[in-house]
Amino acid sequence: MKNKNNVKSTIGLVFLNIFFIFLCVVTLVPVLYAFSVSINAKNDFLSSNFSFWPKEFTLKHYKSIFLESNFLSWVKNSIFLAVATVLGGIAFSVPAAYAFSRRRFKGRSGILYILLMLNAFPTVLSMAAVYRLLRTMGLINTFTGLIFLYIGNMIVFGIWNMKGYFDTIPTNIEEAAKIDGADDFKIVLKIILPLAKPSIVVTATLILIYVWNEYLYVISFITGTSKYSLAAGLYSLQVNEYTRSWPAFSAASLLISLPILVVFFIIQKHMVSGLTAGSIK
Amino acid sequence: MKKIIASIFLASVIAGAFSGCGSTVSSSSGAENSVYDSQSSSGASHEPIKLVVWHETTPEIGELLQKEFDKLKPDIEVEVVKKEKMTESLKLAGDSGEPDMYFFAHDKIGTFAQMEIIAPVTDFISKDDLADMLPMTVEAATYQNQVYQAPIFFETTMFLYNKALMKQIPKTTEELYNYAKENTKDGVYGFLEQHSTAYYVAAWMHSFGGYIINENAEPGLNLSGTMEAVEYHKKFVEYMPIDGDYQTLSTLFLEGKAHSIIAGPWLIPNAKEKGIDIGIASMPTIDETGKPLMSYSGVQGISVMKSAESKKEAVAAALKQILKPETGIDFAKAMGSAPANSKCYNDSDVSGNEIIMNLKQNAENAKPMPNVPEMDVMWTVTENMLTSVNKNNDDIKTECEKAQKEAFEKIEAMK
Amino acid sequence: MILKIKSKTEPYLYSAPALIVIALVMVLPIIYTVYISFTNMNVYHWKDFKFIGFKNYQKALFMLDSGFLMAFLRTVLWTAVNIILQLIISFLIAVLLNVKGLKLSKLYKTFLMFPWAMPGYVSILLWKMGMFNTEYGFLNHLLQKLGISKINWLSGNFTAFVSCIILNLWLALPFMIMIIDGALQSVDKCYYESAKLEGANFWNQTRYITIPLIKPIIAPMVMMTLFTTFKQFDIVYLLTQQNGSKTGADIHTVLTYAYENAFITNNYGYSSAVSIIIFLILLVYSIFNQKDIRGEA
Repeated sequence: MKNKNNVKSTIGLVFLNIFFIFLCVVTLVPVLYAFSVSINAKNDFLSSNFSFWPKEFTLKHYKSIFLESNFLSWVKNSIFLAVATVLGGIAFSVPAAYAFSRRRFKGRSGILYILLMLNAFPTVLSMAAVYRLLRTMGLINTFTGLIFLYIGNMIVFGIWNMKGYFDTIPTNIEEAAKIDGADDFKIVLKIILPLAKPSIVVTATLILIYVWNEYLYVISFITGTSKYSLAAGLYSLQVNEYTRSWPAFSAASLLISLPILVVFFIIQKHMVSGLTAGSIK
Repeated sequence: MKKIIASIFLASVIAGAFSGCGSTVSSSSGAENSVYDSQSSSGASHEPIKLVVWHETTPEIGELLQKEFDKLKPDIEVEVVKKEKMTESLKLAGDSGEPDMYFFAHDKIGTFAQMEIIAPVTDFISKDDLADMLPMTVEAATYQNQVYQAPIFFETTMFLYNKALMKQIPKTTEELYNYAKENTKDGVYGFLEQHSTAYYVAAWMHSFGGYIINENAEPGLNLSGTMEAVEYHKKFVEYMPIDGDYQTLSTLFLEGKAHSIIAGPWLIPNAKEKGIDIGIASMPTIDETGKPLMSYSGVQGISVMKSAESKKEAVAAALKQILKPETGIDFAKAMGSAPANSKCYNDSDVSGNEIIMNLKQNAENAKPMPNVPEMDVMWTVTENMLTSVNKNNDDIKTECEKAQKEAFEKIEAMK
Repeated sequence: MILKIKSKTEPYLYSAPALIVIALVMVLPIIYTVYISFTNMNVYHWKDFKFIGFKNYQKALFMLDSGFLMAFLRTVLWTAVNIILQLIISFLIAVLLNVKGLKLSKLYKTFLMFPWAMPGYVSILLWKMGMFNTEYGFLNHLLQKLGISKINWLSGNFTAFVSCIILNLWLALPFMIMIIDGALQSVDKCYYESAKLEGANFWNQTRYITIPLIKPIIAPMVMMTLFTTFKQFDIVYLLTQQNGSKTGADIHTVLTYAYENAFITNNYGYSSAVSIIIFLILLVYSIFNQKDIRGEA
């Protein structure tokens, strides 16, 4: 009986693995395409003789990105913007999420609902308004202005995501802690946050990806190519339809995506729930 | 978890240290600085006036501009800055004091003039300073009788061909049609053109006496000339790839799979890189009208923001520098672009350049792109019409009438 | 007494910083847009605009003609198809990723996140030129190898619609997968254990434990995705309608229709009115459809 189950689950796992390998390959086709273009020596983006493995290799596009453009400045700008926004975003959202989750107060559900509905607004024309806002605050062409905008755009998601997760954490632990005299700050820091790790990680990842790929605000409000983030720098590499160098462009887009994936891979072990039956006891 | 936090902190501290810990306020000539004279650390008695010029084009052009402007040092220091989505930013930045000038094609001046964010160049220089410019370029830069741009160079589309494939160059469009018919097979095309892009089809319309929109902002999509042109043009589409976009066409030509193509001068360096022996010919003449294809021309030059009126002399000096023949010649030598200043053509490097002389010849028949604000909506309307006619085989008369009506509606909606 | 006041103001204090930032960054632009919608700010009155009352709204209502109605219905269809497909597919994938014993799940998860990691417009360009292109695209390349004739992906209305959906799924699934995966972590394992003891199989477990428990967490995210999908402009525009490469397919969504009929006129007053109207339509639409969200709050 035990053996039969083991065999069944092993076969199941084999199939599952095959399924996922297939899924990953299919998902990655465009990416592999971009990769093949980026190492192609002949600058062919479209070609009737296309094959995934180019006839002549070269790494010169990658080299030229590192050496000739402002790539390294872009990297540090992006890192700075991303880290600042993640920290700020979480710092602003956690207290609010805690309040919405653990307290009942007037306007609570109304505000939450409104926050969600704000996303229904088509932001196509918001640039003018945002520009006026930044200009009034004197934050045009500053990173502070950008971070401010980024945090503002991410808080709604942060609040909802973390509140939803906080809701699933039973309150008896906190009540026990309160009886022991702990204040809210300690409760959040020592009990809620560790238990809510998966949602914090998800929120942080989302913020990271948003900031990392965001180029519109940077291009509109920052002047000077060396101050661009990676995404904005990438945009600037293409100039226009007629002078775009597809291999360089593809190489740059892959380079930009890789750090995200590395981060994602590393944080995965923190996505596992800290909630086990034991924690309640 | 603690490790992650620690490494994040480390990363941010390092990044922060590099980017000046926090907000990176624009260093050199930011919005605040450009209005005042800069604090020159050398303690020179004469403090340079700073000007900022935006552009949205290639780094090469940016460098050429910077070189020209550097000749104004040390009294005037110009910073040439690349600004993506420049036209949008100009609308937003309007009066902020930055930039002082920008480099762009002439077609936007109507819009910006109406918005009152640019000033006529004649506020800074006199009409005489423009005397040497080719009339077509000044016409392009004129909106409602005011000149809003100091032109540097211009471009039109050209008839380019692959010398290895095309031995006899068709002189008329009927010859071209027959050539395309005979030579389009097995994945090779006799003649390529962005058949559903307004910019290119306009050349045919002009030859038939039609137009997309005129100087009085009246759309002409249902004029008999326009409709005849679209109808005549349609038969050529049969021998072209249905995706008439630049990427597809340029790839075909650069792979040696096309005998000829109508494209801009930007294709030539790419072709040479690929080893295509590229030739330049005059535009074919349309048999029916006896006129050659009369393409749109784009004139690239410098326009001045209204807010720069506080720096009149500096701007005037900058404009005059740009209008000098040397500027045009430098650009021509570096990029093969056709100068707007007629005096440049006395230079042997310019007059000996095949590309430039071809462009100059085309310019005689070319029409500057309309610079009226209403043109903005015409691109979409015209291309919708062309796409319906060429790709969906819709009836020409119906589509043109529909497009004309749409054009009126959209122009009304602009008010 | 002090404690009571303190506990009453606490929640407001905690949420104040977040709410202030949101008010500035998200609410202010909406208010500004409403303000502009009542003025005649356009090319001819860029700086000297004045109040003109509801004229822009009158104009906008004229734009809500049959073309707009078609676009609206199509957008509803687009949103529904995308959301349903996304939910089903990402749920399945997330659940499968969490099967015990799948050692390489972390690797798979990372690879599956790639579409999300790449900047959006790069992906769209790559798909347009590299995958869907009639002459050179990879998809047609594949078809030819299999002996099937080329499909003109982006020019027929139906095929263009399907192509846009494929691309949207490719771009949006990673996010959904990650959200559901995160939500699955919140479900206490003991529920499954006791269910197994009582003999429940996989489907019953999913139906009676998993779905009800993750619903509250993912519901708001689904809501936000719904809005994002409805407002999706780039995919449809860049694939089929960009000037210089229009494909002839007419698959206007609400936003692309508004773009071609209002936003390109540079008439900000008018365009603002149109935005507000779209906003109101979305609000009404969501109020009718998502009463559970209110409950969740």
